Amino acid sequence: MTPPPLHNQEREFTLGRYILRRLLSVIPTLIGVTLVIFLFQRLIPGDPAVAMLGERATEENVARIREQFGLDRPPFLDRDALAEGDLAGFFDSQYTRYFSRLIRLDLGESIHRRIPVAETLRERFPATLELSLFSMFIALLIGIPFGIASASRRNSTLDGITMVSSLIGVSMPIFWLGIMLIMLFAVLLQWLPSGGRLSTGIEIQSITNLLLLDSLITWNIPGFLDALQHIILPGIALATIPAAIITRMTRSSMLDVLQEDYIRTASAKGLSERIVLFRHALKNAFLPVITIIGIQVGILLAGAVLTETIFSWPGIGKWVYDSILGRDYPIVQGVTLLIAIIFLLVNLVVDLSYALLDPRISYD
Amino acid sequence: MYKKFYLKVFALLIAATIMLAACAPQATPEPPEMEETEEPVMEETEEEAMPEETEEAEETEEPEMEETEAETEEAGDDVFIFGRGADSVRLDPALVTDGESFRVTGQVLEPLYQYELGSTVPIPALAEECTPNDDATVWTCSLRQGVKFHDGTDFNADAVVFNYERWRFTDNPYHYESQVFEYYEYMWGGFDDASVISAVTALDEYTVEFTLTDPLAPFLANLAMDMFAISSPAAIEAAGEDYGLPSVGAVGTGPFKFVSWQEGTEIVIEANQDYWGGPPKVSQVVFRVIPDDSARFLALQAGDIHGLEQAVVEDLQTAEEAEDLYVLTRPALNTGYLAFNYKIEEFNDPRVREAVDLALDKEGLVENFYGDYGEVSTNFLPPLIWGHNEALEDRGFNAERARELLAEAGFPDGLSEVTIAEDLTDVDGNVLFAAGEKVPLRLYYMPVTRFYYPSPEEIGTAMAANLFAAGIEAELYLEGDWPTYLDARRNGTLVGLYMLGWGGDNGDPDNFLGYFFSGSTEPQAREGWYQNVELAEMLQEAAITPDRAERQAMYEEAEQMLYDDVARIWIAHNNTPLIFSDRIDGYGAQPVGADYFEFVEFVD
Repeated sequence: MTPPPLHNQEREFTLGRYILRRLLSVIPTLIGVTLVIFLFQRLIPGDPAVAMLGERATEENVARIREQFGLDRPPFLDRDALAEGDLAGFFDSQYTRYFSRLIRLDLGESIHRRIPVAETLRERFPATLELSLFSMFIALLIGIPFGIASASRRNSTLDGITMVSSLIGVSMPIFWLGIMLIMLFAVLLQWLPSGGRLSTGIEIQSITNLLLLDSLITWNIPGFLDALQHIILPGIALATIPAAIITRMTRSSMLDVLQEDYIRTASAKGLSERIVLFRHALKNAFLPVITIIGIQVGILLAGAVLTETIFSWPGIGKWVYDSILGRDYPIVQGVTLLIAIIFLLVNLVVDLSYALLDPRISYD
Repeated sequence: MYKKFYLKVFALLIAATIMLAACAPQATPEPPEMEETEEPVMEETEEEAMPEETEEAEETEEPEMEETEAETEEAGDDVFIFGRGADSVRLDPALVTDGESFRVTGQVLEPLYQYELGSTVPIPALAEECTPNDDATVWTCSLRQGVKFHDGTDFNADAVVFNYERWRFTDNPYHYESQVFEYYEYMWGGFDDASVISAVTALDEYTVEFTLTDPLAPFLANLAMDMFAISSPAAIEAAGEDYGLPSVGAVGTGPFKFVSWQEGTEIVIEANQDYWGGPPKVSQVVFRVIPDDSARFLALQAGDIHGLEQAVVEDLQTAEEAEDLYVLTRPALNTGYLAFNYKIEEFNDPRVREAVDLALDKEGLVENFYGDYGEVSTNFLPPLIWGHNEALEDRGFNAERARELLAEAGFPDGLSEVTIAEDLTDVDGNVLFAAGEKVPLRLYYMPVTRFYYPSPEEIGTAMAANLFAAGIEAELYLEGDWPTYLDARRNGTLVGLYMLGWGGDNGDPDNFLGYFFSGSTEPQAREGWYQNVELAEMLQEAAITPDRAERQAMYEEAEQMLYDDVARIWIAHNNTPLIFSDRIDGYGAQPVGADYFEFVEFVD
């Protein structure tokens, strides 16, 4: 069943071709995503112009805003124009206008605030990225060791405690946990700040907008410590679910692998438990775990509305949520597209990492 | 073996947490040396000297503790941090409609008039006095002299003319196509030739003359609105279309100067030491965005902020009992109501409308959902506004009488289904409800919280229960989210009873009664197709009558007419609570216009 092993050079060639093919396949997927988003947004009732102008909106202003943002055009194709033989008019729709801007890498402007979407995205996405990476770091730090320990001491007290805690972790409402964390660490103990990314008055020179990284690059230790203090509580709150999922996945995957013959052989030939676990079992048990980690990273990056709201974290989650309510189409479109790209890239990385872990996997 | 490894990792984690905690700023730090704080704060922000500032702090202090000290030094004890639920939309008040924008622009920019602290009375601000001619069509304003904008340019008559012309003329180079000067249009009747203000002329350097096409009774009240605050012409010329965006901010003459705006996080303003009314008492104000109500209250308890607006009921109770917090109320300038859609046949019978009114236990609603902050309304106008008719009394809660009235109106078995009187169409002309169609009686509740309806779904449920007890079976109905709801209201397609309310803009009765009912010579879609020609004509008259006593009588009469007609059911006025740390004093919560921050001080 297994294909014959390829020579290294040949293997790299195939891999390169595979990556190229995958990247190319991203394009039709993204076009599909833009179509779906466009369709769904316009199925929601409620006019962006009315949403922006509010209770005092006048007909003229509503009409003007609609015209400025092309909302007076049909969403996809204008059949009336075709009937009149106006071919250009037929194709002049909200979608085609959006798409032609997109090709020029222009995400458009927010309807409410008239600020380019890309500009706000550059500011807000790093906040989400930083929080996601930090949470994933915590989740891995907890999930993998406990998963392994639990599997190797199956049915022990440790295993029991780990499994119960992970069950709690998966089912804990983030909202409640967040409030509890703030109450304990910010109000009662006063160890950590209650929210935000940085204290007022602390400045970090912006390079990547990842504050922890920027403060280290510019060797701004007070800035680094302040940013670190701010990210701990939201990081923990956001890490709970992925940590619990990773623990359970690592455990079950390890349990499967530990029953394999080659593990028994390894133990039988006198290798220490540590070497058997870490060198022989872990690598093989990791495949499904990597998949789960990939999905979780994607989910985290898509923005954690609740965590960002409770901890006043200026990321994309709360922003896109408010934009959906305010019918700010360009923002919703921009963010959704970005999230789609992230998911596609994370998937690609996950698939590629399989090959590193398991040489039997090939990419024809 | 590996157990030890994890133990190590954990020990490290715990150690790290404790270390970080040790460096964490305390909420109530010992009083730092204030002399040092005051001067640098003022200068540092003139130029964008922030990064250097931080570096300095880094150099001078020892590694571990510097974070705490740097923070206390900068966000020192005279920096007032205010927590709020949402960010400002834009800092050009002429272009926005959200209170969170005005909360900030009201500190940085000033109109010619402003509202007296704690009231709705217009008093001079940048103008020293405005006096009308005999028929109130020409107003002459003498301006305050020697006032400078924060960019150093002079405030004078030309600046006033510049601002008013920018708002009014659609072909003005600074009236951009992409911008909607919504409030100018709404308060002054329109742009260009439609504007009630037909000319703004500089008579000399410090005198401006406003010529009106018609007398406009609320002229001074309009002048005092935050939207008509004067910006520096030089700043608008320099920033162009970007004026008011986070990168630019606002440049005015107010007690505070704009410093910085981090979108979605905070806006910082600093004391204007040259303010004509005397410098404010705190060196800086930070408006921090904390979207979640509970988290905002926890931030106040933790000492991360010093004051906030909007809290959940439980937190308000906690605050009232807490020793280090206190609650301040913003006097109500709002009314929550239940409206009838007059395209429903049954609602055209006043007895049915009265039955609905009698069925509602307003005192119960206020007690349960507004607590001590609400009051039952008998008028559309809140008691704070002149024109409020004191003589009107609530009809009371009487389910028995409601049933009787329904029986008299021909519904002895109660009301659960209603009839559409005329076709109702959407914007494109599609018929949504056809004439003669029977629909279940709906009670539309608002999908969002507004200060006049603190928890709309729950209040709606309680109302439906009240109505049910009187034989009126209303189905609680969700029309969609807020834009959808407003859209349907505007098109008059909320077919049934619907909840909504109004918050005043300028403290003038015309802003309530006139806005809603002076158009009702025709059935108005936006107002549930209500029509009342006599009322409409009187309100149109009141808006151009210069004499205040005459106007007052007319508005009292208008309230009486609405009451007699049971045109709509006024439910409650809500005084909005704000919570502060007991270290803070002097916050000026305004019923109309931006709050006063200039008198805020630390009292410890």
